[in-house]
Amino acid sequence: MAQKEIIKMTNEVFEEAFEIESQKLTPEANIFNDLGLDSLDVVDLVVALQKKFGVQIRNDERVRNIRTLGDIYGFIDALGEENKLSLPREN
Amino acid sequence: MKILILNIIFYSLFIVFTAIAILLFSLFVFFVRIFLSRRQTMRRFRRAISWYGKIIIKVLPFGLVKVIYKDYEQSNNGQGVIFVCNHRSASDPFLMACLPYEAIQVVNMWPFRLPILGIFARWAGYLSIREMPFEDFLEKAGKLLKEGVSMVTFPEGTRSTSKAMGQFHSSVFRLALEVRCPIVPMCISGSENIPAKGTRLLEPGKIRVYKLKRLQWADYKDLTPFTLKNKVRDSIAQHLAVVETVS
Repeated sequence: MAQKEIIKMTNEVFEEAFEIESQKLTPEANIFNDLGLDSLDVVDLVVALQKKFGVQIRNDERVRNIRTLGDIYGFIDALGEENKLSLPREN
Repeated sequence: MKILILNIIFYSLFIVFTAIAILLFSLFVFFVRIFLSRRQTMRRFRRAISWYGKIIIKVLPFGLVKVIYKDYEQSNNGQGVIFVCNHRSASDPFLMACLPYEAIQVVNMWPFRLPILGIFARWAGYLSIREMPFEDFLEKAGKLLKEGVSMVTFPEGTRSTSKAMGQFHSSVFRLALEVRCPIVPMCISGSENIPAKGTRLLEPGKIRVYKLKRLQWADYKDLTPFTLKNKVRDSIAQHLAVVETVS
């Protein structure tokens, strides 16, 4: 999946599930300090990302290291490579 | 110099009054428990703590700090509610004694570590949110709310270092959605230097505590916890902006 598509779909998750304005969604945005998520919100985020991309994230240790939106783009990209994710899926 | 003297007087009275209150509370709970049920005893114990807080904030800092409480809804039907407050000072938990409710506070770990006062907080049923799994918090807090006990919460988690509010944690909003209880936003203005972070010195001033209009479950039931916490945060921030512009 193209990086552009990953960014678009990830941003859609933040806009739809968290109602965060699109102008705040920059790769440098810290999901805790800038976007206002906490550890419980991250669980909701993981569920929404799983649904959006059709991948399994919940037990992935790398989620703990995510701090910025850019980290999420990179993480999804890496997951796509590992799972040969080629098409965006929406359930 | 005058401020220092008033602080010495305040803290001396605080220590003496707290020592007397602890002794009286212990005796009170011991005797009342013989005659009344646990629930009735707890109600009286929490009321006694509230009176203790009222004297701490209204009487002891006389000439130094004035606390003004304004209730925008003046409604108390005995239902357990969640009070959501902004947090600027170590005095904020004491200020909640203004509320004419049977309430406990949802706290971080440090109040439980205070000598003696920490023990009383535990006895009163205060919940240390960092020391329990979220599911346990939901169960214990939900049970208290259903009994009509309200919760005072500071979802920023820690004192903000400026007048700008920190981000909110979502735990209490998830609780509200689960238990379907009203949420009452609270604004505390003027407490930032009473005392300022990093000192115990109380600066002279007025603290204003505003109880805003409650959100009923029907008003927020369709919101996600994230959206709900930001909606409540925005309502507090907006009110603070207004009162701090005019005062």
